[in-house]
Amino acid sequence: MQSFRLEARGICVDFPGVKALDGVDFRLSPGEIHALVGANGAGKSTLMKVLSGANPAYRGQVLLDGSPVSLRSPAEAQRLGIQTVYQEVDQALAPALSAAENMLLDGLARPGRLWVDWRGLYRQAEQLKRQLKMDFDVRMPVSRLTLAQKQMVLIARAVHNRCRILLLDEPTAPLSTVETETLFALCRRMVAEQQIAVVFISHRLPEVLRICSRYTVLRGGRLAASAPVTPQTTTGELVAHMLGAGGQAVRRRTDAVPGGELLSVRGLSSRDGSVRDISLTVRQGEVVGLAGLVGAGKSELCKTLFGILPRAAGTVLLDGRPAECRSPVDAVACGMGLVPEERRREGLFLREGVDFNLGVTCLKQCSRLSFLSRKKLDANARTQIGALGIKTPSPGQRVGLLSGGNQQKTVVGKWLAAGCRLYLFDEPTKGVDVGAKAELLRLIASLAGTGCGAVYASTEPDELLQVTDRIYVLYGGRVAAELVTAHTSEEEIMHYAVGGKAPFVPSAQRESEGRN
Amino acid sequence: MKEHTPKHAGFWMDWAAVVALAAAVAAFALLRGGSFLSPANAVNILRSMSITTIFAIGATITMAPDGFDMSACTLATVSSFLFASLFLWFGLPLWLSVALTVLLTMVLYLLTMLLILVCRVPDMLATCALMFVHQGLGLWWTGGGAVSAGMPTPWGTPPARMGWTEGALAIGAAPWCILIMLACVAFAFVFLQYTRHGRCLYAMGSNRTAAAYAGIAVGRYRFWAGMLTAVMVAVGAVVVCSRNGAAQISGCDSYLMPSLAAVFVGRSVGGAEKPNALGTLVGAALVAVLENGLTQMGVVYYVLPAVKGGVLALALVAAYLPRRRAAGALSDGL
Repeated sequence: MQSFRLEARGICVDFPGVKALDGVDFRLSPGEIHALVGANGAGKSTLMKVLSGANPAYRGQVLLDGSPVSLRSPAEAQRLGIQTVYQEVDQALAPALSAAENMLLDGLARPGRLWVDWRGLYRQAEQLKRQLKMDFDVRMPVSRLTLAQKQMVLIARAVHNRCRILLLDEPTAPLSTVETETLFALCRRMVAEQQIAVVFISHRLPEVLRICSRYTVLRGGRLAASAPVTPQTTTGELVAHMLGAGGQAVRRRTDAVPGGELLSVRGLSSRDGSVRDISLTVRQGEVVGLAGLVGAGKSELCKTLFGILPRAAGTVLLDGRPAECRSPVDAVACGMGLVPEERRREGLFLREGVDFNLGVTCLKQCSRLSFLSRKKLDANARTQIGALGIKTPSPGQRVGLLSGGNQQKTVVGKWLAAGCRLYLFDEPTKGVDVGAKAELLRLIASLAGTGCGAVYASTEPDELLQVTDRIYVLYGGRVAAELVTAHTSEEEIMHYAVGGKAPFVPSAQRESEGRN
Repeated sequence: MKEHTPKHAGFWMDWAAVVALAAAVAAFALLRGGSFLSPANAVNILRSMSITTIFAIGATITMAPDGFDMSACTLATVSSFLFASLFLWFGLPLWLSVALTVLLTMVLYLLTMLLILVCRVPDMLATCALMFVHQGLGLWWTGGGAVSAGMPTPWGTPPARMGWTEGALAIGAAPWCILIMLACVAFAFVFLQYTRHGRCLYAMGSNRTAAAYAGIAVGRYRFWAGMLTAVMVAVGAVVVCSRNGAAQISGCDSYLMPSLAAVFVGRSVGGAEKPNALGTLVGAALVAVLENGLTQMGVVYYVLPAVKGGVLALALVAAYLPRRRAAGALSDGL
């Protein structure tokens, strides 16, 4: 029998109301880079948290080199040699300290030592630097390093702490192509020279196929597949595992024929490079979807259109007139409304009443000579509460006390009150319960009926299929594909979202070809 | 999400400052009787709180959109130099001196706004730096000294006016300074509570990102809030100058902390949970009543700050501690 570095058997994690992980088995051999993939909510992060000790409330057995261990805290996991590099590298670093100090931070914090041995510290750091072939000054403060270099510092810290299993949580998401190559080279070296086992979480499937020797796919908290990566393995195969068989969702019936062009975007780029040369159109009465993974540029596109992120190039026409939005103030004046992704942080005044939150975009209409009319504000609130079915004891109720779904409806309601021409929805169903989600989707579909247009950004392909007319799939800040909702599938959306370059071939067709 | 705070804790949070004020009045009335409760003493208290309240109203307007100004009172010292020199050295009529002081203070406040809005320095740090700038700027203008009646100008000529007029001195005396204070409070109350612009300022204070994303011109509103604060600062400076009969070195600086304390104490009054005009008035009244009552009780003047500070701290603890607990319970639960 093959000996495993780490073996997890029947891991279960319950969150209130959901089984986040349901009897998952996971095996990791020494000297392998093992990909952990799955759609959003498939349980990747949860499994990662269990292995790193951050989620001690799990059931099941974890064996390390054949002997059972219990992962009750991150410190415990680290003592056993399991090190984690999370996507948010800044949370694990002390920015004012040098790279060397950050690499050896755990030693610095050890009690019983009063003086810092600077010479020893730098000697060890230089040694790590040579070992990992890093090319920056270890005496530089971490705040001056690039994201990729910060990752390296954390990996060096892990190696210094005698790491035997390294968990990398979407390490390549913020990296450029060159930086990704450097990281991969480093991973290959660590695996080959020190027999470290690496768990590699990524949404970018072509990368996964290039660097990993084995993959495990999770779907809905269960193990969907686990197999070695061979030259014959394709991204399509992984996507099929991620979506499973029952991936066909209900489609929206589009009775209305879309009207003239409402929004026309040509060659739009943002100054920070998160949106690159995007062209798209939205017609009157149309809901246009933006598909793509986390970090593909969907939110950034919405924010660039809305004047939050500065533009570098491109033209935007709304109703045929140029919409040079340099701030949200301009965008609102043009007739746009943004339902932002982070509802509580970006969309609501939690301590204010529902009435104020619904009226904040039409305060001018609700006031006479600058004096706000309570009556008009209240009337506006009642209209929107009725139209959207917001469940609140009174219009004066604090928004912070409503449920997620009703909060989101309030955010939508303020733009209804403003009478927008174009609605930008950025992940509007995030953190919204199933009932309210259905209502929101119905509402968005009905909005289009009134001659307005809507852009709907989501990482969930099934939602896009339900609510949109056309879908633009984004990858790396660019449009990877334009699809007509009526003639596409979750599989096709995912194919382009994970970076598929070749024309899409449905799996059923591929299988039949394979048999011939 | 549900409120974990029990009802009675909510009550204490909302009315801690008012209860403290009422308790202080009751205690002093019991202990000192008529000498504390007399109308003359009431006027005394109102007069002594007027300046702090005017500065505190300025701070309230800045803090409504979640701004902050440490340099308001050093700026007021500059304004008082300006007022005294315009009136005494140049002999301008009183109304024109006041109007020009207000205008020049607003011009000086552009520097604050430049640092905060254009250079994007955090409010606290920008205004800390400006405290020194104001101190130097004011003394440069006066030639390194105070401006009082009868003093020659820095360039050697005799002043256009040898002394303060009765009208100028009346501004800082009993009926007028109280009326000015009440006018400032009333203005701020109506502006913040009932106008669209006031609500926009509060919206910014509640969630600046959401306010910006809702199409509120946050930069412009922060600017005008600053300008209104400058007006309050100038008005306060004129009252201080008139009461002292001179523009003294650092004459207004010491009002900063009491005025900020008044705003913080007043924040929670009536469950507003934001800087508000009436709460600020209550906060300033609490400070003034304590000062007056304790002096009557024969507490020596040099111990007074300690007692005053202690009671203020208690009022703040009552207002903030239950909320912290509630917030703690919430974050633990998540």
